[in-house]
Amino acid sequence: MNLMLNILLNVIIAFLLGSLLFGLQRKVMARIQKRPGPPIIQHLLHTLKFYIKESSFPKTAAMPFYIAIASILCVIWVSAVIVGPVAQGSLLLIFAIYALHKIVEHNAGSSSGSPYGKLSCVRAVFSAAAEVPLFAVLIIIFLKTRTMVISDIIAYQAQNGALLFTIPLAALMFFVLILSKAPYSPFAITKGKDIISGYETEHFGLLRGYLMISESIAWYMLLWIFLTVFLGPLSLLGYLVGMVVISVIVAFINATTPMLNPNHSIMVQVTMAFIGIVGSIILLML
Amino acid sequence: MDLATIGGQLLGTIPLGDIVLYLTPFNLFMFGGTLAFTTLIAISRTETQVEAEFGTLKDKEVKVNLEEFKIRRFLAIVCGLATAGAMITGDLFNFTLFVTLIGIVNIGIVSAVRQVDVLNAAFQYGLIAMMASLPLFGGAAVLLASTGTLSLLEIVKLPYVTSMMTFGSLLLLMGIIGETGVAPFYATKAEMFRTPGSPFILIIHLSSLLVIVRAIEVLLIINKPF
Repeated sequence: MNLMLNILLNVIIAFLLGSLLFGLQRKVMARIQKRPGPPIIQHLLHTLKFYIKESSFPKTAAMPFYIAIASILCVIWVSAVIVGPVAQGSLLLIFAIYALHKIVEHNAGSSSGSPYGKLSCVRAVFSAAAEVPLFAVLIIIFLKTRTMVISDIIAYQAQNGALLFTIPLAALMFFVLILSKAPYSPFAITKGKDIISGYETEHFGLLRGYLMISESIAWYMLLWIFLTVFLGPLSLLGYLVGMVVISVIVAFINATTPMLNPNHSIMVQVTMAFIGIVGSIILLML
Repeated sequence: MDLATIGGQLLGTIPLGDIVLYLTPFNLFMFGGTLAFTTLIAISRTETQVEAEFGTLKDKEVKVNLEEFKIRRFLAIVCGLATAGAMITGDLFNFTLFVTLIGIVNIGIVSAVRQVDVLNAAFQYGLIAMMASLPLFGGAAVLLASTGTLSLLEIVKLPYVTSMMTFGSLLLLMGIIGETGVAPFYATKAEMFRTPGSPFILIIHLSSLLVIVRAIEVLLIINKPF
């Protein structure tokens, strides 16, 4: 298939599926809380709505930084789709993309001048201290498979079985990372309702549309990475079922768990990262 | 071990005397990303922070004044260039120099702010960064003594890993953690980030995270787990 067409197709799939999975998550959460909940396509419609809304910019914003940062978030996750499903390149490169995502999340908040955005920015700095070690658990995969290249990791699992069963603690750590990026998660401190919408508070119209597209693609990508590096070669149906199952599990956790205080959230994540890294190394040495 | 198993296929090298820069998709992405952010910082204005005043219904505006803006922007650009250099250098000594420069300019970016809490945080970060320069350069020196080279392209070819190489890389890691102020030194940096000047704060965060990501690659090259 033509490379550009392949990229375009994968980005569209990532956006649509990511949006629908977010919608499914809200539906499941609502049913657990005995509410009817919004339709599953609500998140998708909500994203598209922002493209026909008027864009306005706060007079306190750092221009053109404020506009560029929201657009860069979109570019970053499109790059992740290219490195992941399209090229099946280096996992370390996806790690770098995730680091840039944390930086953009942090600065989208601070660039508007809003106190809510600023609080979200400070929380993003805090949360990076926990989420980056969680992502670093992927190094355990390198120690096990002797490669960071995704296509080689898939080939390794085709020969030796899914990594989920040989390095389960690493898989658990990555699941905690996925959980922390879900809306209404106990670890979603950057978008807590006590700070309105966190770093998105002062983004309207087109810019909010960019942020929402990026969130959907990011959700799809995190699920894709988890399924690819821990469950090995999967068919399209396998990916679809896996993504739905993880999204439903996350919805159950989110619906029944309150959001943690920022300090508690970080300490829980750091503790899990520590257990994951040390435990996995011990398991590898046995 | 092969470089391609970590950062992807080796796309090329840029030899500058005995200092060789190398490009893999991983290094190139981080180099390009850093330069893009640096350009953005160079052309951006700063935000105005709006804070509520106690006892009245008025808002207080916190701005960056022109003199402060100029010096912080200059330091932020230097930090961006140093980070970009650290992303593609294949020379360990070069890498440590870039990381030290990042530490120095990060302190400068924040210490230009006239807020007591922010200055306190910058002072504490400065102490850590200064202390961290010893293990950083010490680690590079131990690695030079134990391998006979500082070139990562040569170190990756070595068929052995000695305990001194592991010790040197541990020192190097300690130095990098201190210079970039990542966990467990992150708490002071969060205080530093309360100051206005979003574009300048970005480069502090960007340099820390990207140097840590690059450090993972460097440590894997040195220690070759298999």
